[in-house]
Amino acid sequence: MKILVCIKQVPDMESKFKVSGDGVTIEETDLAFRINEYDEYAIEQAVQTKEKNEGSELVVACLGADRASEAIKKALAMGCDRAIHIVDNESQTKDSFQVASLLKSAVSEENFDLIFTGMQSQDRGSAQVGILLAEMLGIDSVSTIVSFELSGDEVAVKRELEGGIKGLVKVKLPALLTCQLGLNKPRYPTLPNIMKAKKKPVDKMEVASLAAVENVLTVKNLHPPAKKGQALYLEGDVNDIADKLIAELKAKTAVLS
Amino acid sequence: MEATREIYWNIGASAIIPMYIMATLSLTYLAKGIYDHLKLLKLGKAPLDRDNRLLFRAFYTAKQVLFQTKVRMKKTMGGLHSMFMWGFVVLTIGTGLIFIQADILDPLFGITFLKGTFYKIYSIALDIAGALAILMVLGLAVRRYIAPPKGLPSTAGDLAALTLLFLILGTGYLIEGFRIAVTELKQNPDLASFSPFGLWIAEIFYPYGEATLRELHVNTWWLHMTLVMGFFMMIPHTKLKHLILVPINIFNADLGPKGKLVAIDLEDESKETFGAATLADFTWKDVLDSESCLSCMRCQDLCPAWNTEKPLSPMKIIQGIQTQALENPHGNIIDSLGKDAIWSCTTCLACQSICPAEIEHVPKIVEMRRHLVLMEGEFPGEEVAQAMDQMEVNFNPLGSPFASRGDWAKDLQSKLSAPADADILYFAGCYGSFDARNQKVAKNFITLCHAAGVKVAILDKKEKCCGEPARKMGNEYLYQTLATENIEAIQNTGAKKVVTTCPHCYDTISKSYPDLGLEIEVEHYATYLNKLLQSGSLKINREGLNATYHDSCYLGRYNGEYDGARSILSEAGIETKEMKASHESSLCCGGGGGRIMAEEKLGTRINQKRANMAADTGAEVLISNCPFCLTMFEDGIKGANLEESLQAQDLSEILIQRLTKEEA
Repeated sequence: MKILVCIKQVPDMESKFKVSGDGVTIEETDLAFRINEYDEYAIEQAVQTKEKNEGSELVVACLGADRASEAIKKALAMGCDRAIHIVDNESQTKDSFQVASLLKSAVSEENFDLIFTGMQSQDRGSAQVGILLAEMLGIDSVSTIVSFELSGDEVAVKRELEGGIKGLVKVKLPALLTCQLGLNKPRYPTLPNIMKAKKKPVDKMEVASLAAVENVLTVKNLHPPAKKGQALYLEGDVNDIADKLIAELKAKTAVLS
Repeated sequence: MEATREIYWNIGASAIIPMYIMATLSLTYLAKGIYDHLKLLKLGKAPLDRDNRLLFRAFYTAKQVLFQTKVRMKKTMGGLHSMFMWGFVVLTIGTGLIFIQADILDPLFGITFLKGTFYKIYSIALDIAGALAILMVLGLAVRRYIAPPKGLPSTAGDLAALTLLFLILGTGYLIEGFRIAVTELKQNPDLASFSPFGLWIAEIFYPYGEATLRELHVNTWWLHMTLVMGFFMMIPHTKLKHLILVPINIFNADLGPKGKLVAIDLEDESKETFGAATLADFTWKDVLDSESCLSCMRCQDLCPAWNTEKPLSPMKIIQGIQTQALENPHGNIIDSLGKDAIWSCTTCLACQSICPAEIEHVPKIVEMRRHLVLMEGEFPGEEVAQAMDQMEVNFNPLGSPFASRGDWAKDLQSKLSAPADADILYFAGCYGSFDARNQKVAKNFITLCHAAGVKVAILDKKEKCCGEPARKMGNEYLYQTLATENIEAIQNTGAKKVVTTCPHCYDTISKSYPDLGLEIEVEHYATYLNKLLQSGSLKINREGLNATYHDSCYLGRYNGEYDGARSILSEAGIETKEMKASHESSLCCGGGGGRIMAEEKLGTRINQKRANMAADTGAEVLISNCPFCLTMFEDGIKGANLEESLQAQDLSEILIQRLTKEEA
């Protein structure tokens, strides 16, 4: 079986974010980068599937800047066999449609049986790339999976629905699955695997060498959420605070009217 | 009449050959038994070089064995053990001298030396040594069977060894008494008085008459010889083996730097396994250590984990390795010892520092952790896995953004210098950089240096975790990654000297970074600030405080620095009250060994135990010199409900409060 996992390198969410001078991208200087959390579930599921199905090959694909090679190294250390790195130092400016198209042109000839992606990315959160890639490849897809079972050429997955309900979905291979928190616990790469990963093949393709498509979505402006009001600290003794609170509630809300 | 005695009196020359045959057989048996013990050393296959500084090793071993330096670190029992040992040393030397005269010098060259004044000294020395040894045997029996310390394991071998020693000493006195009764009591009472205990026995038995005494003498002599041969044969099978194995172990001791771990060579591509999961992954010294343990419990008594009801006893780890060697030499040792035990260690080094046999407990635990982390990807808990992940991404275990590492110093820019102009490079560490409580310590340090006219630089966001918590948790790869990047950053500044406020950073940068290529002077701030005070560069007001001082493991036991901080406190006008565990036997705060990243889920809390110890002194302030200690004590004081009476403070806070106003 040929398995593909698509990953993205994202900024650590604790980083200090600053909008660049162009007003539409994020300044990268002071950002720490890591593998998108949901993609780690995808990698883990892909590795487990590979381990259970002897003779399988697991490929990791990543569209991202040069720095994304760190994320690829980790995916290889976790158990992927080889990597496709679409090197794109302007990946921030690409929308989901363009990313999915580029991934498609990089992987379509390999005819993967099973593709895993994260449910969404932590930085953009559009939850589009996986689904779009499946559509472009003309295969079935299931989003937001929290359990996975493969028997023969059929996959049974549970997907998270709203209100705590889960749906059981069966799908024939080839298929693409987007992975959600709760699916598994990503492994910590062992040192021998980290060492071996250094020698695994990484196929670097320049983004310009792939078929170009245009964004369908344009970012016009990027800014931190506007400040909406602020907390009000009431001070003084209990009676004062109570009076002030009543006055505030009367003035600004309808709860006491 | 010349003072001497006839060797082999009443025994006859015919006894000598059978005696030597018995001796040869029993000593051969002893040698075979010890060989069988040492054969187990082959199970440890990891490389280890202890083949150096042989002369120093010989002197060190002689010192430890003869002066019992480490044995006596345990006050009462250690002293008694020394007397016991000295008693036997004198008796053994005495027997040896007889052998030399009676069987070598006299028959071959006609030389005798056991005579005259020398014989008198010889006689009284042996008599007293024997009595001392009997007294100690009885004392040991009382300790073991009448008032045993809590948890003392007793085996049939212990009983046999004590009984045999008592009988050997007892029959020795009887033989002496019978001989004196027949040959000295009336004939040479002056000489007999040089054997006071033998004389006493001689007087008791004198009435039986010469014939009976001669009969008793020869029979007791044979019994004594048989017991001695039995003693030789018992050595390999009881804890008496320590007479031979402990000196060998001490000879092969780790000569330091104290507590320094062996770095894994990550460049070695032939290496496929890391850490230790079976005996083969350990070294021969690790197995020798396990053979040298004789259950004295000194390590266990000081262990912070054991003393807070956690499933770790350093003694049981060592003995577990021996059991493994005997019963299941190729099995998984981590399973036998239990992962909870392995993760519970705070690497405080109390066990190792007190061990009279020079057993190295901590590196074994770290080796097993290395296996768990590097080979299995396992951690003691999810919180530790997350902290490791944060160290990889943001270079600190707290998960704060790496780019804001230098933010604590934003308001202090006027007091900082560029690295090229600075006297020292201050390595703030993760807690000093990100933890609100410890940021105050970092700021204080800059202010104090500024007041003393010292130019300080920092690495700002180029500084990364020193890697110590990851390393002690077994993650050598992450440690080396972080260390290599720090080394590059430090070297790029051209700094000549690094000062840290964290003893973990200090220990790691000073002892372990040289393995990775950094040679630079490193000091902990307690040492550094004390020098500034002593030289007069730093001036503070004296102002008393009801306080106690906590020796952190990594400044104290690891680096032997107990006096710097105490001297600072005394300059500050503070007379500290010592806790019942201080200096070498200080109790860890619970945060070492990477445990600062882990939740303490087993047993009771170490930090609360320490906070209570501090409160027991009646002190109102618990002063420490380490960000982990400070963090642990802030929590421990709350957890032990001592907030009303006890406050945790860092050494730098004591100084800053006493800095003259204009300088602060």
